[in-house]
Amino acid sequence: MREEAEFLVEGQPTAPDPEWEFAWVDRGRGAATLRRDGERVPVLVEGGPADWVVTLQGRRIAVTVRGHRERLLAESAQLAVPRHGPAEVRATLPGLVVKVAVSPGDLVAEGDALLTVEAMKMENEIRAPRAGQVVSVETEPGQTIVTGALLVRLADPEP
Amino acid sequence: MATFRSDASAAVARLFAKTVTPPFRRVLVANRGEIAIRIIRACRELGIEAVAVYSDVDRDAPHVRAADRAENIGPAAAAASYLSIDALLDAARRSDAEAVHPGYGFLSESATFARAVAAAGLVFVGPPPETMQHLGDKLAARRTAADAGVAVTPGLMVAVDEARLVEVDDLGYPLLVKAAAGGGGRGVRRVDDPAGMPEALDSARREATAAFGDGTLYVERLIVGARHVEVQLLGDRHGGLAVLGERECSVQRRHQKLVEEAPAPGLGEEIRERLAADARRIAEAVPFHSAATVEFLLDRDRHHWFLEMNTRLQVEHGVTELVTGVDLVAWQLRVAAGERLPSEVLEAPRRGHAIQVRLYAEDPWEAFRPTTGRIGAWRMADGPGVRVDAGVEADLDLPTEYDPLLAKLMVHATDRPAAVARLRRALDETRIGGVATTLGFHRWLVDQPAFIAGKYDTGLVPDLWVDGPGLSDGEGQTAATAVAGARATGVTPRPPAASSNGARVTPGDRPWARLAREEAIES
Repeated sequence: MREEAEFLVEGQPTAPDPEWEFAWVDRGRGAATLRRDGERVPVLVEGGPADWVVTLQGRRIAVTVRGHRERLLAESAQLAVPRHGPAEVRATLPGLVVKVAVSPGDLVAEGDALLTVEAMKMENEIRAPRAGQVVSVETEPGQTIVTGALLVRLADPEP
Repeated sequence: MATFRSDASAAVARLFAKTVTPPFRRVLVANRGEIAIRIIRACRELGIEAVAVYSDVDRDAPHVRAADRAENIGPAAAAASYLSIDALLDAARRSDAEAVHPGYGFLSESATFARAVAAAGLVFVGPPPETMQHLGDKLAARRTAADAGVAVTPGLMVAVDEARLVEVDDLGYPLLVKAAAGGGGRGVRRVDDPAGMPEALDSARREATAAFGDGTLYVERLIVGARHVEVQLLGDRHGGLAVLGERECSVQRRHQKLVEEAPAPGLGEEIRERLAADARRIAEAVPFHSAATVEFLLDRDRHHWFLEMNTRLQVEHGVTELVTGVDLVAWQLRVAAGERLPSEVLEAPRRGHAIQVRLYAEDPWEAFRPTTGRIGAWRMADGPGVRVDAGVEADLDLPTEYDPLLAKLMVHATDRPAAVARLRRALDETRIGGVATTLGFHRWLVDQPAFIAGKYDTGLVPDLWVDGPGLSDGEGQTAATAVAGARATGVTPRPPAASSNGARVTPGDRPWARLAREEAIES
């Protein structure tokens, strides 16, 4: 059934190249080498069976493998992603909230700074993933947040 | 076999005792990560017992295992452990250490710490506290340099609160807001027009207060297209001062260095000598011993300005060690014990070219944002002319509380082209799994014509890298091929670290604990 599998590299369908020869260097850790006439590419392969990360010259590349059934499921799920309506902004990294730049009712454009989180001793701005109106702010300066914590609720602007 | 080994080591110890008298019996290393390991290695070579310190999250950290003994200094938050003078002095007392080496960062530039160490009857491995205090204040340092006849960057000579706003505007934009107590690029903000000044001051003051406990700010003109070149100093307590050449540090993001070279490419003997002479002038203007670095900006017209003096070991000290053959950490310890610098150090020749790249847990394709999680594979380059100073290893959870520096990869070769080729080879040998690192940026860098030619300035990352090159079709196909190859073998490598969702593993899930489990399963 492997022939049916589809490879998505960073979300783009990509076909493997059968010309390359694949050899493990350290199977347990995912270190491998790809070879073809005069070329040699060190790679690191982690994860599976569906979601993988390939490290190529230090760059981490997301590769998803899915069969026919998974493909259909994923495509229908894609349609359900809301481009409008309520949305939640969550923490992508743990840290300390040092500043909140918005209040309920504020209109924000995609990319606007919502709040500032200090992590690894540096300030990181959390930005709006899309345009909308701030419904609520679920955190405050001084609060320590974990990854995935709900920070801000957005909705479509009131007409 | 045991008898043979102890006989041999006793013989080695006798031989060693004839050549070097250990400057101290036991030294407390008041730091963590790669620099703690670097200092522990110097201690071991000098016959000194090294005492590591660790916060609760660092209990199993590599630097703890590298030391002869280790002392717990409290909870994960740096303020309560690695920045706690009381906790460190307690650890020094408990372990009966004679001296304290602060490394870089943390308390390395704290005159208060240096004085407290001395007051506890211990030797502080660093410059005199009064010099640290004086030069650690970037504003006082600017005044000292100016008084010594060294040009400083155009800007305020007093704190921004004491200056009038017109004075700031008169400097001409773009400007840099800087923390007087700053270092490591923290508390620095670029300001392009007067309207941006209030927000920059607020934000820089917050960051400076959090990082250094001091929100004093000043302002200087941003020199566009400048190179960042610094000079290494090493002095003894008897007036001996070695000027050990310069380092090029212009590859930076967020005013923090990513790559350093020694010597600076294409500098020319005349400027090299002027920089060395100015660095010497500043060191001679203050009481000085131990290691320090004088940083300069070099503009496109080859004018140079004093930027600051760091009264500590630098992250990039290794490239100077490679081209001079002088072990800076060992000599810090020896001059701290009162030794004189010999002529081999004072007149150390330069040999070849060295380059260091810093491997940070940061994603270069996400604006160098720090990454968290667990390191998977950890294979460092080795072979001729390669030095790796690492503070982590495979299967290590990265604490979020500290600097994200994982390791420094250094190469040394006969000349710069050979060093760049060696660096490219070493980067290809290096594989780090589990978390995004700056490795991919460095691999891109060594193929850039500007870097290969040695003609670049601090604009390299913002102008050439920007957000990094997109994925090419060839790279995408290689990635897909690698996964197809892995699937075809029917073996699934260990899952990647929980870096994407930031999930933490339990303290029980440590390398040794897992090993014990695996052994239990096998038996």
